[in-house]
Parts: sequence; C-alpha cells; structure tokens
Amino acid sequence: MRIPIRMIGLATTFFWIFLIVFSASALYSIKDLKLDFGEPQMVATSDNKLLFSLPITIANNGYYSIEFFNVTTGILDEEGLMIARGSTFIPTIEKDENVTVAHNMTIDVNDLLQSHQKYLFNDTELRIHETLGMRIAEFIPIQASTNISLPWGAPLYGFTLGEIEYTPYNRTHLSVVVPVTFENHAFFDLTGNIQMLMYNSSDLLLDEGQTVIEALQDSAYDGYVELYVPRAGMTESGRFEVYFLTPLFNYGPLVIPYG
Amino acid sequence: MADTNSNSKKTLKQITFKALKATVKAVLFYTIYLVLWMFLAPISEVIPGLQQTVEAFVMVYVVLIILGELTSGTVFQYFFNAAKALFVICYLIFSLSGGIFGVTFQNLNLIVDLRVLLTIAILLSLLGFAKSLLQAVNYMNERAEGTRI
Repeated sequence: MRIPIRMIGLATTFFWIFLIVFSASALYSIKDLKLDFGEPQMVATSDNKLLFSLPITIANNGYYSIEFFNVTTGILDEEGLMIARGSTFIPTIEKDENVTVAHNMTIDVNDLLQSHQKYLFNDTELRIHETLGMRIAEFIPIQASTNISLPWGAPLYGFTLGEIEYTPYNRTHLSVVVPVTFENHAFFDLTGNIQMLMYNSSDLLLDEGQTVIEALQDSAYDGYVELYVPRAGMTESGRFEVYFLTPLFNYGPLVIPYG
Repeated sequence: MADTNSNSKKTLKQITFKALKATVKAVLFYTIYLVLWMFLAPISEVIPGLQQTVEAFVMVYVVLIILGELTSGTVFQYFFNAAKALFVICYLIFSLSGGIFGVTFQNLNLIVDLRVLLTIAILLSLLGFAKSLLQAVNYMNERAEGTRI
C-alpha cells in the first residue's frame, strides 16, 4: 500500500506546483498588459447620427494570450435608462501582440432629444457604464467595470425669446421682430433653421417665419425672426410655436406664450 | 540504568531530528512563499489586505507542518496532514468567496473568476486528504500486524 500512497503524494505535489506556478504567472502577467485609450473623436455620420469613436491600444506583453477581450460602453440618462450602447470584441490577442481597435458607439441625437427635452435646453449629466472583460491564460475570466459621469451641454441652453418689437409695416400689417437668444453648450456645432409660427389668442395663425442659425460649440447665438402679421388678427396675448430643424435633430413645437 | 540513559538519548536524538526536519520544511515553505510573493506583490497594491490574508494562511500552514513533523511516527501525523488538506479547502473557499473574487478599487469594480482554479485546488486538496486517510489506515494496519507477530 505504501507505493500507491507515495504515487498519490508525488502526483499531488506535481499538480500543486504546476497549479501554483500557473496561477501566479497568470496573475502576474496582468501587470504586463497595457491598455491605452486614445483621444475620443466625435463625427456626424451620413445618416445624421453622432459616431463616438475611442481608439484602444492593447499591448499584451504577458506570458499568455488573451481571449474574448470586450469593451462595452453604455450611456444612461439620470434615471438609468439606456440611451446608447456600443461594444467592441476581439476574439484573441496573442502574447507579445499589439492590437489597436476603435471602440465605436452611435448616438441618435434626434431620438435622444425627442424623448428627453431637458437635454435640449438644460445642461445635465449623463452616466457612462464602462465594462471591460477578458479571459487570460485560457482559464481566468476577468471583468472590470466602472461608472463615470459625463457632463452634457445643451445645444439650446437658455433659449429665450426677447422683447417683441412691433412696427407698422403697411396699412394692414405689422412687422414683428422676435429676438432669439441661446447658448450652444453641446460638443457639436449647431447649424440649421428656427421656424416660428405666431398664433393669436383665438388660435389663428398670424404668420410664420424662419431664420438660419449657426452656433459654434460653446458660443452664444443672438438673432431674430421677423414676422408680418395682419393688424386685424392681432390680440393682446397668444403663443409662438418654435420648431428647430438641424441636420442632427428636429424638434418642435416649443410653445412659448406672449402677452 | 544504562538502558534508560540510552533510551532517553535516543528519544532526544529523535526529537531533535524531528524538530530539525520540521524547521527545514517550514523554512522551505516560507522561502517558496517569499519567491511567489515577489510575483504577487504588484497585485497586492490593488487588492487591499491580500498580504495579511496570505500571511495568515502561511502561518497556519507552517504550524500544521511543524505539528505534523513533530508527531511523525505516530498516527497524529496523518491527522495533522488531513487537517492541513481540509484547512486549504476551507481557506480557499472563504478567501476567494467561492471562486468569484471581487475587489473595488476607487470607482473600479474588478471581478476575477477563479472557479476553475479553485475547483482544481479543492480536488488536489481532497486527494491530499484521501492520501492522509490511506496513510493513517496503512499505519494502523502495519502496527496491528507488528503486534500480532
């Protein structure tokens, strides 16, 4: 019985040594894994969406290959609802291999702003949930995740209509100049049109006009919309319906009462 | 009188030898730990309390090694060996939280799935436990045969 017991002992010792060396070297090789996140880029796609692209360079200088490398980014609103999600997957990164991938995520600004008006007019924060997963040395899955806040700048921050100027245009019509001001706090330049419809208190459309807007990132816009309204239809109070038409999003009507 | 002296000398020699053997084994085990720690040291910066946890394991294990060696030649040696195997199993299960090892570092949550390695380690420990039981059975068997002869 002594020989089988000794054999069990030898086999156990051998496997223990193998297991300890393998585990230690696998965990140690994580140290030699280098992840570099490049400069994020934001471009508008042909279908009027925003493409967020983050270059990631993975240098695997460890002892083992990396499998199932994946990066997932989820952008959530303040209530935790998913706005956009992007995922990048690399099946295998061999040892001593450098891989650069672009982690892309498409954000439909139109959808976002239609369902969340506050993002159009108020600066707020978006929550970003970042998950990075991989399997090292065939056996050890690792996952790292973090939550970060990303400030969101409103493209029409502080949108207001100024003091309306009424001047006689002719015997039947008045010229109405409506000043428009806002600040573009968004990370993209804003170009497009503002369309304005003026209604009197009896819901009668008096006139409509539009103006071209061009507000660069982090700049203020100061313009006006000129309307010609019939004197007869004018009332003390009423409302404006404002529509925003830009390549990235369309929004409206924004109802602003006057009088 | 001469026999008693000779017996006590023999016993003292045996105890010294056992103590020496236990010391060598303990030192060897601690050296292995120190060598392995060189690899794991960078990770300990990320995982708080790792060094204390590993050191606690090393201490208990060294104590069991010493006790096992001091009681060698008796059935208690195998009990301590079995205890060593069971201690490894329990320690690994508790310290690795069942194989899913999670650490929070600042705002970063790190999860390492060590279930496969844990399973292998538990199986090896069970093998060690079985070996100790077989050794104990063999020891008792040999002793019984010796008494009969």
